[in-house]
Amino acid sequence: MQEQMTHLARAGFSRESVLALSERLGEPAWMREFRLAAWEAFERLPWPAPADPEWRRTDPTMFRLEGIRPFADAPAGALPASLQQVVDAWRAPAGLLLQRNSQGVRSQLDPGAARRGVVFTDLHTALRERGDLIREYFMTTCVRPDETKFRALHAALWSGGALLYVPDGVEITAPLVSLAWIDADGVGVFPHLLVIAGPSSKVTLITGAASPPGEWPPSRGSGWPGSSTDGHGPARVEGQAFADPVTELILRDGAQVRLVTLQDWGSNVAEIGIIRSVLARDAELRSLLVGFGGKVVKTNVESILDGPGATSEMLGLVFGDSRQHFDLHTLQEHRAPHTLSDLLYKNAVKDRARSVFSGMIRVLPGAQKTNAFQANRNLILSEGAKADSIPNLEIMANDLRCTHGSATSRLNEEHLFYLMSRGLARAQAVRMVVEGFFAELLDRVPLDDLRARLQWEIEQKMAEDADGNGTGEIPTRRPLRNGEPQPTS
Amino acid sequence: MADLEIKDLTVQVEDKVILKGANLTLSKGEVHALMGPNGSGKSTLANVLMGNPFYQVVKGEVLYKGQDLLAMSPDERARRGLFIAFQYPVSIPGVTMSSFLRTAVSARRGYDKELMPVGEFQKLLKQKMDELKIEPAIVSRYVNEGFSGGEKKRAEILQMAMLEPEIAIMDETDSGLDIDSVKVVSDGVNRMLERAKGTMGILLITHYSRILHFIKPSYVHVMFDGRFVVSGGPDLAEELEQSGYEGIKAQFEVIAAEVQAEGAVRRAGKVFWVEH
Repeated sequence: MQEQMTHLARAGFSRESVLALSERLGEPAWMREFRLAAWEAFERLPWPAPADPEWRRTDPTMFRLEGIRPFADAPAGALPASLQQVVDAWRAPAGLLLQRNSQGVRSQLDPGAARRGVVFTDLHTALRERGDLIREYFMTTCVRPDETKFRALHAALWSGGALLYVPDGVEITAPLVSLAWIDADGVGVFPHLLVIAGPSSKVTLITGAASPPGEWPPSRGSGWPGSSTDGHGPARVEGQAFADPVTELILRDGAQVRLVTLQDWGSNVAEIGIIRSVLARDAELRSLLVGFGGKVVKTNVESILDGPGATSEMLGLVFGDSRQHFDLHTLQEHRAPHTLSDLLYKNAVKDRARSVFSGMIRVLPGAQKTNAFQANRNLILSEGAKADSIPNLEIMANDLRCTHGSATSRLNEEHLFYLMSRGLARAQAVRMVVEGFFAELLDRVPLDDLRARLQWEIEQKMAEDADGNGTGEIPTRRPLRNGEPQPTS
Repeated sequence: MADLEIKDLTVQVEDKVILKGANLTLSKGEVHALMGPNGSGKSTLANVLMGNPFYQVVKGEVLYKGQDLLAMSPDERARRGLFIAFQYPVSIPGVTMSSFLRTAVSARRGYDKELMPVGEFQKLLKQKMDELKIEPAIVSRYVNEGFSGGEKKRAEILQMAMLEPEIAIMDETDSGLDIDSVKVVSDGVNRMLERAKGTMGILLITHYSRILHFIKPSYVHVMFDGRFVVSGGPDLAEELEQSGYEGIKAQFEVIAAEVQAEGAVRRAGKVFWVEH
């Protein structure tokens, strides 16, 4: 352990570097103390071990910090064309924030929204201008630094990220967009997104994380429509990159929030993150997590239904290819009566990719008249791919409706035969079945631009072979008699 | 040369032999009815002709316009004009009828990179749906998902009308349909035959002779235990309607015993047995 810490210190992970970061960012003393306390927690907390239940299916050593720098500047000058395209892909958002490596480089907000008191800015600016909000909500009630080693690390070294504050009763129709982009070698990013939706407010927030393809094979396009290698930025990022993001959503009484999280890192990025929401009385959250990128991704998505009448829709769409590894932990925690959570995660895995869905429904005593639904569907597209599903229940109330189920299936040869008997080539038929698999989920997200983009992404994934070369042909599989969904619970 | 020549076709599913040397020739412009009791191998024949991977051909050959049909993938068969209206069409979650139909028609019509223009497609679709009295709302639903039995069968015939096949196999399209639906479907098929002016042939598989009152066959065949055992004109269907399959079964048992004892070609009453 001691040796590991010394090693990390050389790489910039030390109490001194925490202090230096806080100083460089010109932070108030309380934030400096907050960071130092978190650093102590980081040093105190154990590294995750393979024996930990949460780590049973993901190798903790995939998240090593060796060779990672905890902060990287955004290069000066114009944005590389590939990043500019990422930004331009969002038409007419009500606001847009862009973080490049560890720094915010663009910030805009519709003046009408600003006049009505909406705050949408990078978190460092927010700390200067709305220190009151940050001090009250930043990792105090929702996510706490001492929960895990990586959350403590995040609390000590956070940079970038955003604050979205929507005052009481304010409704913003057009989506707000917050993008993170990394293109520095061996960078570790710790973006923090804090959303505070005031009583009866209404807002849609789309967050995107992307980077150029990594050096780690295979490569694929950076994943955004029209993105390409150009002369203004590195075509590839050397070495492994690391992301440790935390998203906190606080929904006050009657707030309505739609959150879309698009993760499309290059194939050299290891991410360990959490998205946690706390919903007060009658608040309504509709969230969609999309996982396309990264090398190994471990994400917790948690809804805490804290007030009576709160509703949380939790949708997830994951498509892994080559050797990607996705480990998703979801939590639907009902603390109050008359609350509703409805979760649907659809994961497709191709080549040698692996997905793990581990979902927990927890209903605390007193959370009567609760409805909690959880469904996980997995589609395995190649012999070497694997999908696990682990539903869990902890029910401490006795008047509720709760369902959970998971099904993992391979491509259904009868479906393919039907489509092929109408003239569709096999690859075309497979594409159609996969799009159909996700359609049930996308049909629930009323954002047409987003849907078109996701469909485009799915097609790209389908068109690539195991080496990411985009040759497009799906190998013919032997007929499977048991092509029907096999219930695993 | 017939457009479709089936020679001594022997097929098994898993370890069970279902077709035991089937022979049939069929050309465009002809309507062949294929009858027979349940389990005689009619649906197996239909599925093998379309290339269903669950069935293994162990012997025999099928020529389609003189070419080896069995060497072609199902989609190639379809693009070359073969069609099957399934007895039990599967439902495909998440795929809408309209996007499926547009992709299929585009494939059949040789659109290679892009799809058939949407305006042209919609015009064609509307015309065919009107003719088959199909609710327009069906096209925004997922393929066969939640369709009633009748809706599924009509949707199959809609696909047939859209794809304009040269040889169409209709696998018990009439079963499960009420008489009004049988009429609508038959009218649709007759209209296709009329328009095709001799460029479409049909293999009409049915358990009952009811649909043959509406779609008039040029030939009627009876299949029994994996073989064609009787072939004849339209009157054969009426005879079966009167007497059922029992008479044929008795004759079949006689020659089956003789073949076992003495081999080669046998005939008993109307029933024949051809060994290749």
